[in-house]
Formats: sequence, C-alpha cells, structure tokens
Amino acid sequence: MSRGVLAVGAYAPANRVPAAAFEDAWGRFEVSGVETTAVPDADEDALTMGVEAARRALSAGGVDGAVLDVLTFATTTPPLAEEDLTPRLGSYLGAPANVAGRTYGGHTRAGVDALLDALDREGEGTALVVAADCPAGEPDDPRERAAGAGAAALLVGPDAPATVVETAAATDPRPGTRFRRAGDDRLDGLDAGRYDRAAFVEPVEATLDGLDTGADVDAVAVQAPDGRLPYRADIDDEAVAAVETVSELGDTAAASVPLGLAHAFEAGHERTLAIGWGSGAGAVAARIEGTAPVEASLSVDRELDYTAYLRRRGDVVGDVPDGGAAHVSVPSWRRSLPSRHRHEAGRCPDCGAVAFPPAGACPDCRSLTDFEPVEPARTGTVEAATVIGEGGAPPEFAALQARQGAFGVAVVAFDAGNEAVSIPVQVVGEAAVGDRVRAVPRRIYVEEGVPRYGLKALPVGD
Amino acid sequence: MRDAYVVGAGQSAYGSFPDESYRSLFRTAVEEAVDSVDRGIDLGAVDEAYVGTLGVGGRQIGLSAPAVTEHVGLDGTPATRVENACAASGYAVRQAVMAVRSGMADVVLAGGVEVMTDLSGDTVRYWLGVSGETEWERLSGTTFAGVYAQMASAHMREHGTTTDQLSAVAVKNHDNGARNPKAQLDFTCTLEEATAAPTVADPLTLYHCCPTTDGAAAVLVASEDVVDDFAADPVRVAGVGAAADRVGLFRRDSYTSIPASRRAADAAYDAAGVGPADLDFAEVHDCFAIAELLAYEDLRSCERGAAGPYVESGATESDGELPVNTSGGLKSKGHPIGATGAGQVVETFDQLTGRAGDRGLEAPAVGLTHNVGGSGGAAVVHVLEREDRRGAGS
Repeated sequence: MSRGVLAVGAYAPANRVPAAAFEDAWGRFEVSGVETTAVPDADEDALTMGVEAARRALSAGGVDGAVLDVLTFATTTPPLAEEDLTPRLGSYLGAPANVAGRTYGGHTRAGVDALLDALDREGEGTALVVAADCPAGEPDDPRERAAGAGAAALLVGPDAPATVVETAAATDPRPGTRFRRAGDDRLDGLDAGRYDRAAFVEPVEATLDGLDTGADVDAVAVQAPDGRLPYRADIDDEAVAAVETVSELGDTAAASVPLGLAHAFEAGHERTLAIGWGSGAGAVAARIEGTAPVEASLSVDRELDYTAYLRRRGDVVGDVPDGGAAHVSVPSWRRSLPSRHRHEAGRCPDCGAVAFPPAGACPDCRSLTDFEPVEPARTGTVEAATVIGEGGAPPEFAALQARQGAFGVAVVAFDAGNEAVSIPVQVVGEAAVGDRVRAVPRRIYVEEGVPRYGLKALPVGD
Repeated sequence: MRDAYVVGAGQSAYGSFPDESYRSLFRTAVEEAVDSVDRGIDLGAVDEAYVGTLGVGGRQIGLSAPAVTEHVGLDGTPATRVENACAASGYAVRQAVMAVRSGMADVVLAGGVEVMTDLSGDTVRYWLGVSGETEWERLSGTTFAGVYAQMASAHMREHGTTTDQLSAVAVKNHDNGARNPKAQLDFTCTLEEATAAPTVADPLTLYHCCPTTDGAAAVLVASEDVVDDFAADPVRVAGVGAAADRVGLFRRDSYTSIPASRRAADAAYDAAGVGPADLDFAEVHDCFAIAELLAYEDLRSCERGAAGPYVESGATESDGELPVNTSGGLKSKGHPIGATGAGQVVETFDQLTGRAGDRGLEAPAVGLTHNVGGSGGAAVVHVLEREDRRGAGS
C-alpha cells in the first residue's frame, strides 16, 4: 500500500446552540440546513481544539507524538495572526524537537490543501495534519448564524489503508463572497445572491469535471460554508448528506472537509470524494479509496440558549477588569511548558517519589536532585474541590467567568507510575471530591498579549 | 535567655475608614498601645521596630516599615518590614521576642497595618490572591476562599463535617464580635442565616468568610530587665512556635489539617511547658470558618476530625471550656491582613489584664494566639501568661 491516511481524530466543542434560539431572539433564522452550531468554550480556540483532535488521531493510529516527522496546522482562525503555533501543538503532543512544522490558512480550503500536500510528499515519513477552526461574524450576520467550530486531524504515512487515487483543482477569480479584513476577526461578505452561489458552485463542479475516475462514490465530504451551498452543486445529494457535519456543527471552515472524511471513514465508506473550497475562489477535489480508523466523539452535552451563546462569544462581556493579573513572565512560563502541556512530573532518582512540578527539592526525601521526567495519566481523581461562584473569580479569570459562569477548581491526583501526583487544575464545569476527570487542553489566560495554554480538568463520570 | 513580656498593646478600630490612611491607623494603634502601659512609656525607649504588612493595593511596598514608624516619630529607630502574608504581624511579634531574648533590644515595637477597602473589587481580588502559590495554584483559577473551600471539601468528605458546623463558628464569632467595640461586623447572626447565605466558594457561604478590613495593631515587648519599669501586671511570652510549609495546598502532606499550625503549636506548648488543656482561651486564625475548625484540631484541643462536633458542643463559646476568639476573630472583628497577628496579641493582652470589657473572661492565666499565613505556608503561635495567676488558678 502507498502513502495515505493512517488514522483520523475528530473533535467538536460540547456546546450547541439550536437554530430555534436564533429564531426566538431575532424572529427568524435565515440559514437553511443548519439545525445546531457548535460553540467553543471561552477558553477554547483553534489550537486547543486541534490538540484534542490530534490526540485522538494519534490514539486511533496507536502511536504517540514521538513518531511525527511533520506537523501541519490548518486554520482560518489562528489565535495569533502571526506566530508559528505548531511548536506549541507539538509540545502538547510530545512531538520530537526536529519535527517539521507547517501552517496553512487564509481560506477555508486550507485543511484539504494541507492534507493533499502531506499525502503528496513521499519520503517525508509520518505527518499529522491538524485542521481546526471557529469562524465568527457579526451577531446579525448570516455567516455568524452558520458559524460553528470543530477540528479533525489526519495521520499520514506509508502503507496506509486509505489512499488518494486522483485529484483535480480549479480556480476562478470571484472576490467578495467571503472575506475578512486584515486585523479583523469577523467574517464579511457581499451576499450577492447568484454571484455568491456561482463562486462556490462553478469551481466545485469544475474539479469534478477534471476527475478522470469520475464522481461515482459512496460519500462526498464537501466544503460547507452553510447548509445549503453543498447541495447547489451538481453532486449526489445523498452522498453529501451521508457525511455532512454542517447541520450539527455549523460551518467549520478549514475543518469542514476533514470532519466529513472522519464521518465517511467511521461509516465505512470505501469510496469518498473530498472537495475543498476556498473563497476567492478555488476548489480542489480528491478521490479517496479505503478507510482508516477513526476516534471521534462529537458529544453534545450542553445546549445553550441565545444569552449563553452571546456570553460565550464575548459580545456582552466588558474588557479585562482592573487589578492586574497574576504575573508569570513568558520566560518563566516557557520553563514549565512540558508540565503545562502534558503535566510532566518528575521521579526522584534517590527515593522514587514523584513530584509536581518537577523542580526543587524532592517532596519526600528532600534531596536536591534532578528529576527524571514522568508523564502522568490523563485521567485522575478529584481530591479537593470548590466552585468559584459568579463574580468571585480573580481578575485574570474574570473575563472567562463573565463568558462562561461559575467554574470549579480542584486538586486532582493523577497516576504516575507507582505513585500519584496531585496537581491543581481548573475544572471545565464543576466536579466534587471523588469524581474522575480528564486533563484537556485549554487556554489558561492571556498575559502581556501572549496566550498561555495548559490543561484543565473535564469531568468524565466513572 | 532573657524573658520577654508584653507591656502594652493597642489597635485601631477594624472596619472601612476612607478618611484614614495606613499611617494614621498605625498611629492610632501605637497611641493605644502606649496608653495601655501601666506605668507609662516614652516611645523613645523603643530600640527596634517590626511591622507586618502585605501591602495590599501596592501603596508602599518598599520600606513600608520606616514609612509608618517615621509617622510616630521613630524615624531614627531600626525598622523592618515582616511579610508572611496574613501571618505578617504574628511574625513581627515573634521577631520582637527574638530581639529581646537575644539581648539586642530591651523594648521593641511590633505591629502591623493594612488598608484593603479603598480599592475596587477586582483589585482586592488580585491582592487576596498574591499569597497563594502563583504559578500553579492561582493559575488554576482559585481564590483565597477557594483554597480553604477545597480544604473544607476534603474535611467534609473525610470526617463528615457539615455546613451547619461551619456556620456554628460564624454564629459564635459574631456573638463575640458584637461585644467588641473595635469589631468590623458587630452584629449577630443565626445558624440558618449563615448556612443560607450566598455561596462564595462552595461549600463556604458569605458568613463563613472574613471581611476585607482596614486596621492596625501594635504591641510593645520588653525584656525582663526593664519590664518592671512599665508593667504592673506583666504578661509573659511563655512560648513561641513557628513553622513554614509548602505554599501550595497541592504540595502539602494533608488537605484536612494545616501541618504548619500543628508544628508551631507543638513548639509553643513545649517552650511554655503547657498543653492544650492548660489554655484558658485562644485567639485563632479563622479567616474562613473551616480554618477555625482546623485550628481546634491542629492546636490539639480536640481529636482530628472531631472539630465539627466540638464546636457544636459549645466548648469554644465564651462560657465554654476553651473560649475561642472572644474578640470576634477575623470573621467578625475583621482581617486587616498585616495587622491581624498583632491584633490577636492585643486581645490576649486585654483579656489577661482585664481590659476586655463586656467580653472579659474570669481572671484568665494562659492565652494562645494562632496566626496563619496564606493557606498554611506559614504559621506562628504564641502562648502568653500571667505568671501571678498560674498555679493559683488551674
């Protein structure tokens, strides 16, 4: 077998806002084909969602981050307009220091472009392509009505069960249908009816015409800026409907087609068409045969009403309060990154005790030693817990609380070898003593303009 | 080693005083301390000064001790800031005792001051978090109340402690504070009110938490060589104990006790030659109701895990076997962080010398103060006694 997709992971935030919530608030909901959209928590962004999907892809492939030769991140909504985010992504995953990082963005086709490039590069070893996105528009804009969130990661390498047999591309200069001004974080567009439709349909159909192997497939994972455009092109509607995610997650931009591929593989479709489209406009189609293992639980456990959705977006939340934030300098923060991203602890070479953080004297034997790195389990048990009620958060978490409400804070014991280490973590939601939680990637806070990422605790039941 | 004595002690009222400054509050405390000296004292007799303050608001972080001692005319006297979070001035008193015992000073002023109520809520929340472990604990999003609430959650889980037992601490301390003219929250509350109050950090309600407070306290410590020049009824510093611990709760050996308190108390008892049963009363660090319950256990007044039933038994009420926090405690009297430890010594001095007014105990001989920094990263315990009453009483 040749180079192809080895495994896939998918992630979507747990929050859903139903179309009915918009109808209640605005009297109408003009985006057909979208029943709910996924809403990121206030401490989630493209990077944290990407880490979630990447962890799952590695798990589905039965490998860890150490095997990666290439790490690719595709998004239209990077948390920073300039700065390579692949080193932080790699740090979360335990990727080696010599991993080649690549970034794709600028339009919604970025995820498919990144995947096809990784598949093309024979001899590059193992690559992980991570596509994550959370587009946004003005609250009354149809693009915001459709805006969703999600991430998918595809592990690419030799001897793969799912391979691309043919690709075709098409471009057509069509400005103005979907764009974002430099420095702006809100999508815009002219909403010019037939012009907009043509900007999507014509390049998409042109790629199909370019495929010698034809479009006779079981599933079509096609870019879905909304719930209607995919069906305007001359494609088998049933094959589109079989694997679409827009109706549940909304517009996931660069992650849209990769999420569709995850669905197709999960459903066992052996012949899948992936069609990426980016405004401007251009499209690319790839015919994929075979399937790869998938780990995805796009769980829905929280339905938001319109107010909760607005709060999470930050539209009705003021600026950062006065009082200042707990200051940890960026160089100090960097020293702790393995512990921030992977809860790296340390085993005392003298007595075997495990310390967190792995610095200073051994907590058991007091030896001033250098710890051996230990990575604790991602799941642990709450030892002590409280809930910081609304209005009670320290200033650096006041904005988070304003967007998301009360949050739990716990000391959690994570297994680390023969011992357990106790680590203080913020809870996504609430947890009580004895509860089981999993360490999940989240943004901790932004200080000096620099987002600081770490792990929080998500209750997982038993 | 020379003995050290408390020959005078005073404090400002605790509360919210927008017309005062940290310096004017300190002056009031010092003047009261001077006035309390039986045979009078000239501040010129002070050889050394230690001032506890966290510096909430950042109003004078550097040289904060000389900044207040110059205000009372001690500009030529060595003055040192002592910072151990909420135990700052408990440690300032300990420094004073050490200076006297070492022979370097005969008369030492130990005090503390904090102004906390002239700031926005967010600014106060910032400052209330600076004594937690910053890099991990605070950045988990917790507050001061949150860390004590975590201890409460573990204590409840391990020992079956209840919210009503936490509330019993609040009811008792409000009862006491209502009889203290210097107290900030000088009103009583019922068990039902305390339990039903809004949650601050589950399981702690508003009534389980101390307020933010402006205030100052000052203590005059003298050596045995000069004590008779000042005191008619000397209060001897019978024992001092102190201990540090890991700053973050998650690094400690126990979440259901404060190990530094246990070590400090054991050391102070040992030095004073007394045990918990010898105490006539105690001023303990009740920043949160759970903290007072932990103190009962850590001071060994009751068994580990038994603090809930112990408070419900009435043992720590002012007519109980061990009256605790006759001043109202941090809960009702108030908690001006840097002043709190010295303020506990003020109450103890007042009780031992018959200055406690309506809340005065019947000729007590031995009192204890227990002052904790942060959530237990530092603790200091003093045992104070009236030598003339010991043996005569119990």
